[in-house]
Amino acid sequence: MTLAAFAYQRPRSLAEAVEAMAEAPDARWLSGGMSLLPMMKLELAAPPALLDLSGVEDLRGIRDEGDFLHIGAMTRHVELARDPAVRRDAHLASLAAERIGDPQVRNRGTVGGSLAHADPAADLPAALLALDAEVEAVSARGRRALSVQDLLLGPMMTALEPDELIVAIRIPKHTGHRQAYTKVPHPASGYAVVGVAVAIHEEGGRVRQAAIAVTGVALKAFRAARAEAVLAGQAVDQEVLAEAAGLVCDGQDVLGDVYASAAYRRQLAQVVTRRTLEGLR
Amino acid sequence: MASANPSDRSEAAFTYIGKSRHREDGPAKLVGAGGYVADLDPAGSWYAHLVLSPHPHARIRGVDTRAAAAVAGVKAVYLGDALPEADLLAESEVFYAGEPVAVVVADDPAVAEDAAELVEVDYDVLPAVVDAEAAMRPDAPLVRQLEDTAGRADAGAHGDAAGGSAKTEERPNNVSAVVKYRRGDAEAARAEADVSVTRRYHLPPLYQGFLETHGSSAHAERTGETTIWTTTQGQFMVRNAVKRLLKLPDYRVRVVGATVGGGFGGKGVLLEPLVATLSQRLGRPVAMLLDRQQDILVNNPGPAADIEVTLSARSDGTLVAIEARLVFDNGAERGGSAGIACLMLAGTYRCPNLDVLGYDVMTHKVPIGAYRAPGAPQGYFALESAMDELAGTLHMDPLQLRLKNAVQEGDDRPDGRTWPRIGLLECLRAAAAHPFFEEPLGPNEGIGVAAGGWGGGLEPAAAACQVTSEGRLVVQVGSIDITGTNTTFALIAAEELGLSPDEVHVQFADTAHAPYAGMAGGSKTTYTVGLAVAEAAKAVRKQVLEIAAERLEAAVEDLDMADGAVHVKGVPGRSVTLAEIARDTARFGGRTAPLIAEGRSAVTKSAPGFAVHAARVAVDPDTGEVRVTGYLAVQDVGRALNPKEVEGQILGGVAQGIGRALYEDLAYDSTGQPVSTSFLDYQMPTFHDVPRVDIVLVEVPAEQGPYGAKGVGEPPAIPGAAAVANAVAAATGRRVATLPITPERVLAAQ
Repeated sequence: MTLAAFAYQRPRSLAEAVEAMAEAPDARWLSGGMSLLPMMKLELAAPPALLDLSGVEDLRGIRDEGDFLHIGAMTRHVELARDPAVRRDAHLASLAAERIGDPQVRNRGTVGGSLAHADPAADLPAALLALDAEVEAVSARGRRALSVQDLLLGPMMTALEPDELIVAIRIPKHTGHRQAYTKVPHPASGYAVVGVAVAIHEEGGRVRQAAIAVTGVALKAFRAARAEAVLAGQAVDQEVLAEAAGLVCDGQDVLGDVYASAAYRRQLAQVVTRRTLEGLR
Repeated sequence: MASANPSDRSEAAFTYIGKSRHREDGPAKLVGAGGYVADLDPAGSWYAHLVLSPHPHARIRGVDTRAAAAVAGVKAVYLGDALPEADLLAESEVFYAGEPVAVVVADDPAVAEDAAELVEVDYDVLPAVVDAEAAMRPDAPLVRQLEDTAGRADAGAHGDAAGGSAKTEERPNNVSAVVKYRRGDAEAARAEADVSVTRRYHLPPLYQGFLETHGSSAHAERTGETTIWTTTQGQFMVRNAVKRLLKLPDYRVRVVGATVGGGFGGKGVLLEPLVATLSQRLGRPVAMLLDRQQDILVNNPGPAADIEVTLSARSDGTLVAIEARLVFDNGAERGGSAGIACLMLAGTYRCPNLDVLGYDVMTHKVPIGAYRAPGAPQGYFALESAMDELAGTLHMDPLQLRLKNAVQEGDDRPDGRTWPRIGLLECLRAAAAHPFFEEPLGPNEGIGVAAGGWGGGLEPAAAACQVTSEGRLVVQVGSIDITGTNTTFALIAAEELGLSPDEVHVQFADTAHAPYAGMAGGSKTTYTVGLAVAEAAKAVRKQVLEIAAERLEAAVEDLDMADGAVHVKGVPGRSVTLAEIARDTARFGGRTAPLIAEGRSAVTKSAPGFAVHAARVAVDPDTGEVRVTGYLAVQDVGRALNPKEVEGQILGGVAQGIGRALYEDLAYDSTGQPVSTSFLDYQMPTFHDVPRVDIVLVEVPAEQGPYGAKGVGEPPAIPGAAAVANAVAAATGRRVATLPITPERVLAAQ
């Protein structure tokens, strides 16, 4: 449980960080350390060098950019949960951030770190997926944008290159959409056995746009496309909700483990989806 | 007034006994003042780290220690065959995943840990026997030679174990003990009974989950003295193990019991012989602290059990037959939990026909030890679930069914003895009268009840008392205070001497200095050491009164002690304080002999303690999630010497019962690999999971305990699992017979 020896650097700017990574290609970015450090303690990871991003001012802050909210990658979960602009324009992100780990984890853990870690049972990926967010990544080769959908490849796997760094998350504003995140935490780890993020936009009593994203259930967070399709254009009633909820895991290879079998997890996801949708009515 | 039998005294006669007092060790613990093994760091200490086997069963072909030994700071690397006296490292074959195979010693704990990774062990992997039932089949391979095993922690030390009439029969494969209780003709009685219920129950192994992991430190000095600092519930037990293994006279081994951060039966002897051996070999103090993962892998957990029970009764609820078959999975050592489980399962209710058979079985898993009331929660989960099902079948109130059949003083036990003064009926009546059952239930809520009992352990004990020159009393004991016993001892001594407990200091001393006391286990510390403290205090009182009689020119019979002074009865003002007397015992030219005495006890009768719990749960019908919404705990404690502490014991036991019922599972996969080796996977109950607990103390005095007290530590950890399972059954109509009661099992149950 003692960390293996590693080199440590704390760059003071984004340019310095990118340069340091170019010089030490086996290094890992250290943001909040809420996942990486436990992995190092358990010897699941032993990077020779850590580049601590806590000194990079460019990675901080939440900005209003018209149709989007710009969330600096080093934004702490607690900030995301409490920020008035996020609560107004992308409430789902706040709701999911509130359910992450415990207060200590929320005080240290970061939005960028959570996405880059890509734990298949993490809370934020589901919320950001439902909000159609995209990430901005930077490396010595330049800057690119990719959707959260494209970012997440599998358990602890992302489309980021080893030297690439998430610098910000851009969330399209969902002002006025009904949003909710429901999580059934694993009783020991606190990670989601099932987490369901929902954002519904209604006009004239009919669903104009429905987003349902699920975490904890498959190898990565996913959008429940068929369930969304059931809701789209409908005047929502009990029957429609039940039909949508029943399809939430459609097409997914549902995970089973010691705590919850695949069959139970599927059932739980359906129950949680139905209740989340009902709660939004 | 000291009487020959303290239990004769009525409550009104007590000044301090029965009045709640905060734990003396509380403030230090609250501020993190330390005293734990991890806080002790002997100067010049080296640090040891274990290399563990990843395989449940393998032959060690060879070990390459060169890379580890070459690391800067590494002082030694030892394999098991070099340290047979350590009694912990495998020699040529490993019998469980996590078994230590080598130890690395370095001048820095992190260096030792890193170097341990470099020890290359070449294993010849062998087939593992994982399932206890499968291990018993005639064609199953032997886990290991039975004679090679001794059993790590002696679970039998905890309770009033079966022994007696338990007969050893021809043993199936890999069975280290068979326990059998037969009475009448159970099969015939079942055939004639009005109703029978049969079900098979399963309980997983449990980790005790103490906050503080195992740790020990030793210094073998060149003078020939070896001192060991360790987290243990029994320092004399450690001393006896070390002196035996290291072949030293017992006075050469000094064990200093450190503050214990939770024991629950799991802190007996583990690392001490190893660190003592290493210190001897290396001539340096050597310390070892297990990290959480190693602690879970190497520690002695509570055993898994499979129990099939059939209860048969007449339509009026009279039990006519109990049949049961119990299989305990003890891992790769012999171990004795089946005895207690069989005894309590067969002995809690009056029943003319018994056929109860228990097996202690070996498998390729970590050897089990004791976990709070070893064997009893398993036996009672099965028995009390079955009683609940029987009550349902008979359309009878579950408490009434138990009241109808409960044993009482003088009833036969299955082991040929008779029950002494016990309070099972009194607990059942107190529960039945409690308003807990009248509160309205919400939707999907249900209430379940269950009883449990514990035989109570015995062990000779001694204690010393002396009056300081300031007139305070110092009580010296060698028992480890894991439950607030020192605070209780202060109350006992205060009561005997008519001295405020504020003026009594209970001093813990190591094995070189303390009078003997057994392991703090088996719910026997207050029961046995407490009696010795009372005896010592009485003897000091006698010394004080004799001196005071001279000073006050009065007969001893005319004197009384109160408020730290000796008074002549009926003559106000004629008194002398303890401080005045004591001053002369410790000064140059003084003429009064020091006030000091020892007290001894060898209690011959155990005092079984019974408890009745009721749980209220709410079950989510769609997800199967169970929430405990209310809890009633009734317990016969003989006499509550320090009620607040007794209630604390009960609260802790309730929490552990809820953990056993709903969450905890030291799971293995089908190949024998443990899969919950961290708190990311192993789920303990938290503050949020435990509701308010209504506690009712019943006092049916023990014949021999101090002031009638009985051991209170184990009984509250026993009925919880069945109470919760029965509540789930009441709420859902479904009975979960496999623990823990996970949401998924609730939905799958019939």
